[in-house]
Amino acid sequence: MNPPLAFASISELSRRLRAGDVSATQLIDVYAERIERYADISKAFISLDLEAARRKADMVDNSPGYNPDNNTGNQLSLKGIPYACKDLFDVAGMVTTGGSRVLQDTIAKHDADTIQAMNQAGAICLGKNNLHEFAYGATGENALYGTAPNPYDHSRLAGGSSSGSAAALGFGLCAATLGTDTGGSVRAPAALCGLVGFKPTFGRISTAGVLPYSWTLDHVGTLTRSAADAAILFKALLPAARDVTNVDLQGQVIGIPREFFFARCDSEILDSIDAFMVFLRSAGAELKPISMPSMEHTRTVSLTVQMPEALSFHNRYLEQRGHLYSQDFRAGLALGQCLLAEQYIRAKRFIESYRREMDAIFADVDTILTPATPVIAPPIGAVEVSVDGHSEPAGNAITRYTSFFNMTGHPAITLPCGMHSAGLPISAQLIGKHYADEQLLALASRIEAAYDFTLPLPELN
Amino acid sequence: MQKLDKKTLIGIRDQLASYAWEDAEIAELVDPKLGIITGFQELLEQLECLRKIDLGSTPPAGDIPAK
Repeated sequence: MNPPLAFASISELSRRLRAGDVSATQLIDVYAERIERYADISKAFISLDLEAARRKADMVDNSPGYNPDNNTGNQLSLKGIPYACKDLFDVAGMVTTGGSRVLQDTIAKHDADTIQAMNQAGAICLGKNNLHEFAYGATGENALYGTAPNPYDHSRLAGGSSSGSAAALGFGLCAATLGTDTGGSVRAPAALCGLVGFKPTFGRISTAGVLPYSWTLDHVGTLTRSAADAAILFKALLPAARDVTNVDLQGQVIGIPREFFFARCDSEILDSIDAFMVFLRSAGAELKPISMPSMEHTRTVSLTVQMPEALSFHNRYLEQRGHLYSQDFRAGLALGQCLLAEQYIRAKRFIESYRREMDAIFADVDTILTPATPVIAPPIGAVEVSVDGHSEPAGNAITRYTSFFNMTGHPAITLPCGMHSAGLPISAQLIGKHYADEQLLALASRIEAAYDFTLPLPELN
Repeated sequence: MQKLDKKTLIGIRDQLASYAWEDAEIAELVDPKLGIITGFQELLEQLECLRKIDLGSTPPAGDIPAK
């Protein structure tokens, strides 16, 4: 049975648009009605521009030769597809708040490169999604705009920092979303909400026009309902991307890093990953144990890079608007002020050593498999979560398995692979070689076509 | 390494080029209560561990190398 229109994949929506079963305007109406219906619960959007969306939909419906902006090799692969973006992306004429009081009056003059690419592919932007203030945090909590809940259990977190981007998809409010990922901020909320989260190789998708959190770790990423949709979006964002469709699981060598990435992990998540590995082996993949670089200091290394970079950007606003920042973000920026330059450089040298070690590992494997998160979505307001008697801050747990790959810059995708007995999604993470984004997306698409990952839709009422 | 105290951080604020953090924010770094990403003292102890690891001639990471 096909899912309801609001939960249909991009490829299904495109097929129905082409067949004339539904018009772009009708599609906007479907999502607009749901956005209003669930606004109080979902907290998914900070701002909307439905008038502009309807104007564009009208052009799609009534101009057979519709070809927005110019033709840059983009094949209108997203013609008439409604999407939303995290409120760090500049959309010309809309305010880019960063989820903060600090920037509530800054209207973007130009589209971010990625928004421009989406326009050129024919996609229609509905609005800007809620987030953890300036992407500083993985819980997605936001005192100003509210905390986006998990669509499967509204008392739990959607995860962050791209919380609204995950909630918007989970509540059926658009067909895809753009987010940013500095330590897992696309992949982790996607994983917790039963969606597909993808971050490309560092630098492959432009971050121009996106408010930075940490320049050398920030990636623009996508949240979608399927890996196939993620591949469509990647091609729209990077028209020069190679067309890779034929990836066979037979003979794939998949590295399994047991030491860190399977430790202190919820037992039901491990069971789901085990089942996933049984499937991969049965499909002909070779699962190979691998030893990753020492993970002991990785969080320290990441933080030592993040906070000075964040301070360096926000310094421009602190003098005039410093009082408008939330207390916890100011405290984080103050920490960035007190780190020494040598500590920052040393952290960058550790990152280089991680990359070199990963290059050696990828000489022997095609892909690496880990759980996406060690925990299911924590309750809203939870400060700490506990696994196997070991407590840690909720935000740290959510991104424990994802943040390393922001430092190494490898492409990574999370995809659902089971349901927890608590009624929340469980997801796996696949990591590919540098610049093998296309192969990774093709592999994930191949897996989802062959293995039944279909989750029940969230019961929203 | 001695335990970090507020006076040191106030010195950084007042004597090095720095944004004028409030005393309460400085205190938060020394004795976190707001749920800051991590306690500064804990971070410094970990940085001290990193300092003792010999990285040889490994340079800082730049962009991902070209294909």
